[in-house]
Amino acid sequence: MQALSVLLALAAWEALGDWHLVGQGALPSPSAIVAQWWQDRDIYPAHIWATLQPALIGFVAGNVIAAAAALAFMLIPALERLMRGFNIAIFGIPPIALSPVLVITLPGQWPQIVLAAVSVYFPTMVMTLLGLQDIDPRPIDVIRSYGGGRIAVLHWLRLRSCLPGLLGGLRVAAPAAILGAILAEFGSGARWGLGSFLLGSLGRGDPARIWGIGLTATAMSAAAYGLCALLGRRAAASVLAVTITPARIEAQAVARGRARTLRVLLGVGAVAMPFLIWWGVLKAFAVSPVIARTPWGVWQYLVSAPDAADARAGIIQALGQSLPLAGAGLLIALAVALVLATTGTLWRGLNAALLPAAVFLQTMPLVALAPIIVLLFGRGIATTLVVTVAVTFFPAFITIAQGLAQVPAASLDLVSVYGASRWQKLLLVSVPMCLPYLCAAARLVAPAALLGVMIAEWLATGYGLGGVLNTARGELDYGMIWAVAFIAVAVSVTFYQLVKLIEERLLARFRMAGG
Amino acid sequence: MSSAALKVPTDDIRICAVTRTFAVDARQVFALRDVSLGCEAGSFTALIGPSGCGKSTLLRIIAGLEHPDEGTARIGGATPQQKCRSGALGVAFQDPALLPWRTVRQNIALPLQVLGRSVSSAQGLIDQLIQLVGLQGFENARPGQLSGGMRQRVAIARTLVTDPSVLLMDEPFGALDQILRRSMNIELQRIWMEKRPTTILVTHGIDEAVFLADRVAIMQRNPGGIAQVIEVPFERPRRPELFAAPEFHRLEDEIAAVLYAGMAS
Repeated sequence: MQALSVLLALAAWEALGDWHLVGQGALPSPSAIVAQWWQDRDIYPAHIWATLQPALIGFVAGNVIAAAAALAFMLIPALERLMRGFNIAIFGIPPIALSPVLVITLPGQWPQIVLAAVSVYFPTMVMTLLGLQDIDPRPIDVIRSYGGGRIAVLHWLRLRSCLPGLLGGLRVAAPAAILGAILAEFGSGARWGLGSFLLGSLGRGDPARIWGIGLTATAMSAAAYGLCALLGRRAAASVLAVTITPARIEAQAVARGRARTLRVLLGVGAVAMPFLIWWGVLKAFAVSPVIARTPWGVWQYLVSAPDAADARAGIIQALGQSLPLAGAGLLIALAVALVLATTGTLWRGLNAALLPAAVFLQTMPLVALAPIIVLLFGRGIATTLVVTVAVTFFPAFITIAQGLAQVPAASLDLVSVYGASRWQKLLLVSVPMCLPYLCAAARLVAPAALLGVMIAEWLATGYGLGGVLNTARGELDYGMIWAVAFIAVAVSVTFYQLVKLIEERLLARFRMAGG
Repeated sequence: MSSAALKVPTDDIRICAVTRTFAVDARQVFALRDVSLGCEAGSFTALIGPSGCGKSTLLRIIAGLEHPDEGTARIGGATPQQKCRSGALGVAFQDPALLPWRTVRQNIALPLQVLGRSVSSAQGLIDQLIQLVGLQGFENARPGQLSGGMRQRVAIARTLVTDPSVLLMDEPFGALDQILRRSMNIELQRIWMEKRPTTILVTHGIDEAVFLADRVAIMQRNPGGIAQVIEVPFERPRRPELFAAPEFHRLEDEIAAVLYAGMAS
């Protein structure tokens, strides 16, 4: 049955492609894609290797740093508070905004390696830290009753129980590393690599080849994801607690309110830290001041330099073009995800079918497929919206579907006893209960929305932040490149904090524990 | 293991005027208020009482897992923390708290590793303990492959691996069904009589307390404290038939009367 539907879909695609029914040949038939791929078979290995090698190096380096950071944050909670601003900034960086900065400051493969490492840092760090902190409290008592301290608990318990989290992080990080390497090629003008290949082919307008490259990149990501998923499944099976963990009251009792002054100091430090690290890295590597801009340099460029007003006006205009589209794309993606996830719970089996597909599609370097979307939808606002929705929809859908799946069966049974219909169950129980997940989804996919908009602008429309960045790159306007990168991160982080604030208010109002 | 050869000098437990408070919404709640209790070396004491009477808190203080706000807990004259580090304590919780990635044998060996003792030289002892709790053939099984009762028996074996002079148990059979619980009670008595560690058992079950203990300390709440201590006169080894004896039920009723009187007030 499934095989039949796949065959039917392929046949339909073939027909659409062969008769040029979509976008005047923008959708080539599967046979044409395969034929073109076969024709290009000699040049693919070099392109694949040029992307894979730095992605791999960045993946390893980024994950080692992330795991070490997670360990340090677990051992010294104050350090985690201090670095929170830096972590959120790393999370919020749209890779496309960082790419030109790296390309102008670093030689050779380094931009790809660093962007891959930056892309993997956050997911691995967060999931490892969660794995280290969120452990079964009962064996801790066993170890403590033999005089074991923090180090014994770390050694016998935490290091082992964080494995599933770490491996889960690697699973998310693997496709991210490949995407990072590809996006660094977008700005580098390098000869080899799938990103460079993609850009070159977009210029020549060769749909069959663009599709072939996009599908190759997808296959690479899926393989990396699958490999890490396989590793993770082995580890996870042996760590699941055997019985249900009792309520973790102790954890709350331990987290007593800290001294107010220390909290304020750490908060200020957390804001200052990203700037300090930015400045420190430039100083440490002695990057030429012609190219590099310190935080102070960006301030001068945007505020105190003679032509700062022009620069400011350019960026404000670009923001005015990019932000509404990012916001609209985000809202559309969230709405579609919510509707689809809730309908999925109404008709049993639908979510079970959709979720694995969504998890798989999430690993696709959809952003690298942007050129295909450009082919299909042209170079207007529609393309920007489609790219944005495409990169934000899947993670949002997965988060919301997970939230709906966590609604306790007893709560649903309770309203069923009074004869509630499916819709009533949904409105009275499921949707309110997954509110924390909806907020989390908004927060987590917001940077992706900005990334999607900027990619589309860079590749297709030429408007907005992405367009400004691409122009500045062409004109070697270093000040503007740094300024746009800074503004993109600032917007991303501001939005993240804003949603978090709303989330905390909402959850406090409904007395729901933080999600 | 021959009982005479392995007899260890046991420690007594002295709890003096212990008070422990918790903050609930900026209000101070007494989990324990001015509680004193003495347990002779080699004795078996049951702590029984309604939820929230502080019996688990008391046990955790004796186990060195929590500190009293006021008062002292001493085991054989030393602090619980000192005793912990020497491996003198065996603690069993309501949950077996096994590490899911370790086999039965490795789980039993965990206390030795935490204490920095040799595991390889203890293999014989671990085999004996596995036999003692009746888990032969499951040495290399993981907790996920065992039933609830079997997991609890692994936990009991783990508490015995350091040859403790003090055994602290917090509702160790609370999650088991009545039938299994009874057979575990009989097994626990047998194990206890072999080694005679000074034992404190926290329980909800009046029958369990009367069957196992030399004396039953009945606790009350608001504030948490000991209302009355009742001696249990029955000879050891106590046989399963005791559960049906009239004098057993009379004692149960006596304890129940104290419990419900405390709850009514």
